[in-house]
Amino acid sequence: MSTTPVIDVDRLNLTYGDFHAVKDLSFQVRHGELYALLGTNGAGKTSTLEIIEGHRAPTSGTVRVLGRSPRDRRAVRPRMGVMLQESGFSPDLTVRESVRLIGRLTRRTDDVDRVLDLVDLTSRAGRRVSQLSGGEKRRLDFATAVYGTPQVLFLDEPTTGLDIQSRDALWATVDRIREDGTTIVLTTHYLEEAQQRADRIGLMHQGTLHREGTVSELTRALPAVIRFSLAPSAPRPPLQAVVDGDGKALVETFHLQKDLHLLLGWAQEHAVELPDLEAGPTRLDDVFRTLGTASHRGN
Amino acid sequence: MFSIASSELVQIFRNRLVLVTSLIVPVAVSALFVRQHETFADLGSLGYIAAIVMFTVAAFGLYATAVTTLASRRQNLFLKRLRSTAAADSTILAGLLLPPTAIAVVQVSAIMTALAMVAGEPTNIALLVLATVATLAMMIGLALATAGLTNSPEHAQVTTLPVTLGVIAVASWVGITGTEELTLLKRLLPGGAATELTMNAWNGGTAVADSLLLLAPTLGWVAIAVALATRLFRWEPRR
Repeated sequence: MSTTPVIDVDRLNLTYGDFHAVKDLSFQVRHGELYALLGTNGAGKTSTLEIIEGHRAPTSGTVRVLGRSPRDRRAVRPRMGVMLQESGFSPDLTVRESVRLIGRLTRRTDDVDRVLDLVDLTSRAGRRVSQLSGGEKRRLDFATAVYGTPQVLFLDEPTTGLDIQSRDALWATVDRIREDGTTIVLTTHYLEEAQQRADRIGLMHQGTLHREGTVSELTRALPAVIRFSLAPSAPRPPLQAVVDGDGKALVETFHLQKDLHLLLGWAQEHAVELPDLEAGPTRLDDVFRTLGTASHRGN
Repeated sequence: MFSIASSELVQIFRNRLVLVTSLIVPVAVSALFVRQHETFADLGSLGYIAAIVMFTVAAFGLYATAVTTLASRRQNLFLKRLRSTAAADSTILAGLLLPPTAIAVVQVSAIMTALAMVAGEPTNIALLVLATVATLAMMIGLALATAGLTNSPEHAQVTTLPVTLGVIAVASWVGITGTEELTLLKRLLPGGAATELTMNAWNGGTAVADSLLLLAPTLGWVAIAVALATRLFRWEPRR
């Protein structure tokens, strides 16, 4: 397998007038990886993605996609599928016409009916795009991106507006495409999607890559959490717990397994019920929250 | 280019508003001129009718449709979508502009043929073709430049007015009063030289070499329009 990165971003900068949207950003995406580019609103994700996709020229720095400049559309685009954040289909064309047109223009080959079936739009094939629901438009967008199974697939907020079934179906398709070795770059506001699926995550904040790593690398820095309810009459638990007025207790720990064992042993011994018991590692959400507070403190 | 063009043609025929403004209005106006050709020939000449018909189609058909289409495709991000494929920018623009241009060519040819049948043939058909091609090229250039200043298809109804009304006014002025006086001004105004060239081609009586010189101002306007377009044209809506 090739060791050259599929996407190579090196000291990328983008300024709009006085506003420095992307600052000295560098990262790489390896072959076959699912890389999630996440960040707060206005962190510079969309600008970065647009530069990597070749829609926008950087102010400085270099970007290589499959070893080429993404501005070299003729060379790069046939190997790249793009699901844009906003649809951009003509309302007067039908679903089938849209897939056929955009599919053909990617210069990949595929069967329009196969692709429509893949995104469950076969029954809508003859409908005008203007008659589609928001979720159906997202699926149409996905269909044009995966047409001809590209080597790199950009998914910009792919599941926004999709119901659970469509979301699961979309991820099932993505999983199948990954088996063919397709590299995927994802942005999403659904952090649990990134947490479940990303091999690595780049966390952008104020135009820079604030943190990068696997989900566990990112969450490891923060304590795991144990939550439970405690009756007022119960004895004091053996752990440092914060208990609020409603009797909801919260324990933060870097030794989840040991502390959970301790808590459960104590509860058993004292015959204490622990309703609403929950324990788990820090979620990506919490990593995000620390981002926000860090910047507030910074401001 | 042809896959974009054919999808564009489908879209034109499915959108009634565009269909009416780009197809029916110019044909209706032109039909009136052809039907009343004696009245208008008295006012100017048969060449004037040919010129005004050509500009009606070029301005209200080709130019206004092209500006409206480009603004609309940009507004709903269809241009961005096309640019996320392997198609080159020039291919995309050519594909989008081909159908309205082809429709305009068919319309001008049909109307001029009708005029020739009811009022007699033009003197120099080749020159007439040249005048038409130069005029259409100028209007396409102006459409690309105007599209850069137009935010939406609705906005196009306002932004296209200066050029549509302007070229029709110039064509009428030059067509009715000739270019004996204020020659330079009339020839340099957009559409002025093209009108004179069309009249010469239809009416005859002018040396072909002299007429060919009249192509220069029109081609100059093509160059100006293209230069403006490269500065003004945008692929994505302003945010």
